[in-house]
Amino acid sequence: MSAEPILRVESLAKRFGGLQALGGVDLSVERGEFRAIIGPNGAGKSTFFNTMTGLLRPDSGRVSFEGREITGEPPHILARKGVGRTFQITSVFHDLSALENVQVSLLAHARRAWSLWQRARTLYAERARELLELVGLGKNPGRLAGTLAHGDQKRLELAIALAGEPRLLLLDEPTAGMAAQERIESITLVHRVASELGLSCVFTEHDMAVVFAVATRITVMHQGRVLAEGTPAEVRARPEVQQVYLGETA
Amino acid sequence: MSRPALLALGAGISALALPLALSDFWIFIAIEVLAFSLYAVSFNVLLGYGGMLSFGHAAFFGVGGYAAALLVKKAGLSAGLAFALLPIVAMAISAVVAAVVGFFSVRRSGIYFAMLTFAFQMLLYTVALKATGLTGGDDGMTGLKPPGMLAQPFVYYYFALAVVVAALYVLFRLVSSPFGYTLRALRSNARRVQYVGVDVRAHQLATFVITGAFAGLAGAVFALSSGNVFPGWLNWTASATPIVMAVLGGVHTFLGPALGAAVYVVLEVLISGRTEYWPLAMGVIILVLVLLMPNGLTGLLQRKTA
Repeated sequence: MSAEPILRVESLAKRFGGLQALGGVDLSVERGEFRAIIGPNGAGKSTFFNTMTGLLRPDSGRVSFEGREITGEPPHILARKGVGRTFQITSVFHDLSALENVQVSLLAHARRAWSLWQRARTLYAERARELLELVGLGKNPGRLAGTLAHGDQKRLELAIALAGEPRLLLLDEPTAGMAAQERIESITLVHRVASELGLSCVFTEHDMAVVFAVATRITVMHQGRVLAEGTPAEVRARPEVQQVYLGETA
Repeated sequence: MSRPALLALGAGISALALPLALSDFWIFIAIEVLAFSLYAVSFNVLLGYGGMLSFGHAAFFGVGGYAAALLVKKAGLSAGLAFALLPIVAMAISAVVAAVVGFFSVRRSGIYFAMLTFAFQMLLYTVALKATGLTGGDDGMTGLKPPGMLAQPFVYYYFALAVVVAALYVLFRLVSSPFGYTLRALRSNARRVQYVGVDVRAHQLATFVITGAFAGLAGAVFALSSGNVFPGWLNWTASATPIVMAVLGGVHTFLGPALGAAVYVVLEVLISGRTEYWPLAMGVIILVLVLLMPNGLTGLLQRKTA
């Protein structure tokens, strides 16, 4: 393992009008980590994600990936550098087939999105099928993504993200909108795939059962700042964490 | 032989044999159908594949028409050379204009994109209207004709057929290519596609330029058949034409808008020959279409054959 963290965030700040959504967030994620970011609603988790991934411009602070600064880089550049992400509200290509969804990602990753003449139908189709198999969607590759069940769309989105061969995968509430049992299955799938591929992951999550099932480290956010950080056991033991977060749900 | 192949063969033979069965008047109409097919398909690559509703596509059709007229009348080239250069020049000039319009327009999406294309079109319309020395102003440019044999309608028909079929083939390859797949993904979910590494604006701009160039080619083909170009070609009302053709034929198939163009042009000739209320008839047709056949004529055909 190299000494350089795969992701380093320093004093990241973002203000919306009078609201300090992020008040200087620091975060350091080592290679191979499966890091959970938790916090009550409004803690700034989504803003943090969107500011890290180029959707919002930070007011100040710095984000580095593998030692190179990526602050404020647009999403497509981040993707090309090896940062993948999934969305809280499932984000797939609804009127493309499951297979085409993954093909589009593979084509972009291979810098083929600008091939104007070649027929795309069979390009990377084999690899796309493998990725669908990997996330458990091998059965109906021709089905329109929009007609898949919610959980299956989440899997598909994971396959889309994986097609880009990211080294860091950022998942914003990967189990949002799922039933309790499905959540554990879903995050276990992400965890298994990430371990197999040697990915580092950062994910936000509400469900403590999900967090404690897979996270190697946990960062607790509260009111736009990092309140605590540590292993699951350490975080669980911190009184201030119990007060602001675990206390609410227990 | 598969059914699509048989259909294509049938359509090919009909297209080749058509002038033998038609009067000169209807050959002109057939050329108009060809030009507008290309125009409508180019528009639909933007709308149906790219999700970009342009209110200014007529600008490029018009620019292509004027490019053709200027090349033939004012460039001082021999008639043959001017004609040989025509497709390339019309496409190149339309592409340059589309690049400028697109550069600003793709920065916004939805209705704001539509309004920007609309604004640029009005600008170009005013140029066509007021730059009298170059464009003839309100009178347009008239008396255009192709050189030699090509001035005969049925010969020009074959020229138009070759150009339009070749252009449609290029556009078909485009939508079937990785570029086209990415374009459909972009229409479906622009945010997601950024995160797989696609530069959304660049992709939209390229699509805008390519479709603008083909609209220009269609305008040039039509200009030399009709013999004239008028500023009205660039007026905003003219931009409704490809929208109606695309919706009429169906925006979910590649050739749907071409079918829509054929039906539109022929209906216009038949109805406006009998009554001055052609716009009324068109309004009724659009109403029926949108309410009863949301996927256009091709959607209807697919339902019947399914």
